[in-house]
Amino acid sequence: MKIKVNNEYQEFDGEITVSELLTKNNVEMPDMVSVQLNGEFVKRDNFSSTSLTDQDEINFLYFLGGGNF
Amino acid sequence: MGLDIKKSINLHNISCPMNFVKTKAALAELQQGELLEVLLDEGEAILNVPRSLKDEGHQVINVENLGETFKVIIKKG
Amino acid sequence: MSLTDEQLERYSRHIILKDVGIEGQEKILNGKVLIIGAGGLGAPIALYLAAAGVGTIGIVDGDLVDRTNLQRQVIHFTPDIGKPKVISAKEKIKEINPDIKVNTYQYLASAENISDLIKGYDFIIDGTDNFAAKFLINDACVMAGKPFSHGGILRFDGQTLTHTPGNACYRCVFKEPPPKDAVPTCSQAGVLGAIAGMLGTIQAAETLKFFIGKGELLVNRLLIFNALDMTFRNVTLKRDLNCPVCGQKPSITALTDYEQAACDLKGQR
Repeated sequence: MKIKVNNEYQEFDGEITVSELLTKNNVEMPDMVSVQLNGEFVKRDNFSSTSLTDQDEINFLYFLGGGNF
Repeated sequence: MGLDIKKSINLHNISCPMNFVKTKAALAELQQGELLEVLLDEGEAILNVPRSLKDEGHQVINVENLGETFKVIIKKG
Repeated sequence: MSLTDEQLERYSRHIILKDVGIEGQEKILNGKVLIIGAGGLGAPIALYLAAAGVGTIGIVDGDLVDRTNLQRQVIHFTPDIGKPKVISAKEKIKEINPDIKVNTYQYLASAENISDLIKGYDFIIDGTDNFAAKFLINDACVMAGKPFSHGGILRFDGQTLTHTPGNACYRCVFKEPPPKDAVPTCSQAGVLGAIAGMLGTIQAAETLKFFIGKGELLVNRLLIFNALDMTFRNVTLKRDLNCPVCGQKPSITALTDYEQAACDLKGQR
């Protein structure tokens, strides 16, 4: 199946959860990312129980703290 | 012509783009439909200013060639 | 209000723009903007807003100019080392454009003072470097019904969104600050100096668009860029009706100071 991750398609065989997708994409600290699936935010507690389906669109949004120093 | 000119400005020797800026400033003081008379130099000024004014939705209703300068009547859009 | 000949000249390149014109420039001249943080983001923001003629600029920062700032905080110059950032910034703004009224607040924004700080301003800009301040600015602006621009940068990345009342806020995206030290701040992770300019000028452009009322603000959108690939991405956001601060039944109704990472407290020396 094809999933659009941060605007680019990725191919997967079989089922994949949000947690697994984060790991596959080398997200360093999964706790520190906000995940938007088809326009809705996924609660962090539900990352491992949320499975993705073909043509899903998912965005990883990271905390960016800099600006002043 | 008996036109009701609300305001008149002389932009002789004022080059681009300040002549356009000053025309816009003068138009800002008028109501829609009122007339502004502008004196513009030949060359770049008369080529550019009326065209830019038309782009912004104003109407150029008369252009009179006075030799070195042109007298242009603009209706605020 | 009628612009002087000097103003017509100074702002001629704005006035020529169909979407700005005399009317738009007058709105900018009447604008009141509060910039929180006179650092990497605040520097280009203040410079461009001063040049653009934003009538009143407030700057909040408790820090002093340090040699390590100069790589990206372009409003501060080498001779300013040791000077309060708000003073250094005010001096540059006045040199660029003497017409600007500058208010300086030489302290950190906190839960106690932020509501008073933002009160007199039309638009608030987050140019801070820590999550405590970012959440505080968000919550205070949402509660006061003030529009603001959020900005964050790190390494080669930047992100920004504009909030206007009734639309998605920072907390709709990021529910609460990450645990202390879980996410590096610039002082730990580094940042390419020009990134601050890229993001800060986007925030400055949003501010000017807000005043002239033309175009589409980054409302309900998060703009994310990476300068290594030089890619830009827009993520559509929806206001979260369960958002703890802007939702229908907000659970956050008072402002709090989150604990900050130790390195962020440098300014309080």
